Amino acid sequence: MTTYAVEVVYRGIFQKSLSRNICRSIVLASRLEGKIGTAFGRYGDSPERNGIPAKYFAVVADDAVELEEVLAQYEPTQVDVSIVVDDTLCKGVESWAWYGLQPINALTKPNGTVIVTSYQDPEQLKEDIHAKDQPYDLAIVKGSKSFSGLWVYKDDHTDVRVLGALAKVCPDMVGLDSYKEAIIQQWEDQRKVTSAERAHGRVHVTPVEPGEGNPEEPFTFDMPGWHDMEEALVIPAVKPGGGFRGGEGGFEPVRSAVFKKFSTRTMRPVVNFETCTKCTLCWLQCPDSCFDVTPETLYDANMEACCGCGVCEDVCPVPDCITMVNEEAFTDNASQYEHWKRDRDGYMNWLDEKIALSKTEVREHGFHHVGQYEEQSQTAEVGNDD
Amino acid sequence: MTTTQDLIPLKGVKQSPVEELFTSGHRTCQGCESALVMKLMIKAAGPRTIVLGSTGCMYVANTTYYSTPWVVPWMHTQLGSSGSAALGTAAGLKALMSKGKLKDEPINVIAFCGDGGGADMGLSAISATLTHNEYNLLILMYDNESYANTDIQVSGSSPWGANSTFSPPGTLHRIMNRRWKKNTAGMLAVGHPQARYIATGCASYATDMMNKVRKALSIGGPTFMHTLDPCPKGWDYDPMYSHELGMLAVQTGIWVQYEVEDGKVTLNGPSKMLAKGKKRLPVEEYLKRQGRFAHFTKEDIAYFQSQIDEMWEKWWIPGVIPPGIADG
Repeated sequence: MTTYAVEVVYRGIFQKSLSRNICRSIVLASRLEGKIGTAFGRYGDSPERNGIPAKYFAVVADDAVELEEVLAQYEPTQVDVSIVVDDTLCKGVESWAWYGLQPINALTKPNGTVIVTSYQDPEQLKEDIHAKDQPYDLAIVKGSKSFSGLWVYKDDHTDVRVLGALAKVCPDMVGLDSYKEAIIQQWEDQRKVTSAERAHGRVHVTPVEPGEGNPEEPFTFDMPGWHDMEEALVIPAVKPGGGFRGGEGGFEPVRSAVFKKFSTRTMRPVVNFETCTKCTLCWLQCPDSCFDVTPETLYDANMEACCGCGVCEDVCPVPDCITMVNEEAFTDNASQYEHWKRDRDGYMNWLDEKIALSKTEVREHGFHHVGQYEEQSQTAEVGNDD
Repeated sequence: MTTTQDLIPLKGVKQSPVEELFTSGHRTCQGCESALVMKLMIKAAGPRTIVLGSTGCMYVANTTYYSTPWVVPWMHTQLGSSGSAALGTAAGLKALMSKGKLKDEPINVIAFCGDGGGADMGLSAISATLTHNEYNLLILMYDNESYANTDIQVSGSSPWGANSTFSPPGTLHRIMNRRWKKNTAGMLAVGHPQARYIATGCASYATDMMNKVRKALSIGGPTFMHTLDPCPKGWDYDPMYSHELGMLAVQTGIWVQYEVEDGKVTLNGPSKMLAKGKKRLPVEEYLKRQGRFAHFTKEDIAYFQSQIDEMWEKWWIPGVIPPGIADG
């Protein structure tokens, strides 16, 4: 009598097909071993939005009765393995209003495993992942975030590499040979089998002690009960904003208290306040109204509200004035404008460092042009990036 | 007697009001252009405005689980009822003011709907509302070319050939959506000659769009606006390029920006230049950057181009009224 549950935490839409492939393959492979399983997306994540954290589950059991028993609950409350297909999710996820920031290992069982696809080393990831009072293992599959879209899938073998690693950390659920067979059944591609085997051999596992990790308390809210709500489902409006940081000049909108959205971000804008021409375009074109207007009409991207879409970089007419940088290079949501005001030289050095970093990376935010994924997968397959 | 608010046209982006009346904390996609339409719409309309929203992304994503990004009063209404909600609200305000129960002042009424809620389900209510000249209101249709909230099903506003949950390209039939996009604003302008203002816009041209909202709210009577909103989820592209794709839609001539004021049509901005003979960008520039057209062959692109060419070369007014009177 054993059941296993696996969750895949992913970026909405961008990694929907990827996480579905992973969970579906787990179920198909489990059936090859005479077990039974089911894969499903978390109902509450639908409708999914680009970038907003979402979950997919796979549950494997010895027989149908046992499976039904597990599925009597809405979704697994504990999982043997949490799979994280974008390492910036390690900072925690906020899926909905009132939901708060959930640690990435919230559902991981004691002595379970968190698998992360990342180029970061375990020590760096542990700075982001919130501390837990039970031990667990951190397994790293080396690789970049694999983003595609709703219609075109980027087949860079991330799906099968995760399966290979899963066979290593949780061999009792499904063994590597069954995954290999399930891969052939689905894709008829021997190279994908090779990628899975390589990932199985190369996955790097580090034990994490109780209390080890990010010590911060993630923010939470108390959801109002029906008796606290106003009649006719009236929701209090957001208050009008006022001057920048409560002063006379500029403008700072009052922001939603219960949904911040920053955990949607995989890249963040960094702003050069010295080359800014005050053209207003970043502020005006930001769909999330995330820019605070300073008294000297500079625009400070509010890092609690920015979801990292990158429109500001695209509309900015000044080269390198707004640059999108990988979120993993940052540890807090502090105001860049305040940093610049406090220490201009220090800020400019910090900025140069971040911009230099952005030049070394390829943006992974989905479809750019027809044929792009084929070009990329020529170089990416069979784990060449190890 | 209530009149409309005096909303002065903006002379450029730098005159945009600094206040945000649609603030952060909505659960839309990264780079959501429809959220930008909401933000610009209410920025242009100002604080003395009531907003009514029919079901769609801009309802579900914005106001989830007892939260809201709206600073102004906002109310949800059913999918097909943006027209009725706008009319009822405008009439209610008028009645309350004439009875002295509300201070007599001009209050803007805006009802928004998506293309599913407007071009498909709500068309009859919008049409009826546009004939009620005694009420001041604006119906804004934000068009992301699909039922985007429920994960991209075809609407009457989806473009020919686009991939969607209802029209996945197959091996036998590559083109599954064989319907051409409905000309909603043109149809409403031609069909409701008494409505004083019907316009199209795009948030990539923010000042133009905001000024159209201002004109629609200040001219008096029921008015209609149709915006084209690039949708990173359904169109399948990097969210960073929302603004660029909006511009490309206009520059390729696929989306025509115009206003019909008291029966007179004016093409605006780049569309005006295209009508004057400026070269249109090839539609391929627009199509090849979206995953929903990734299955297009050269022939499909050529067909798409031929339809756009015909609109610009043969139509009576490009994007508004198709070829004129039959020969003989």
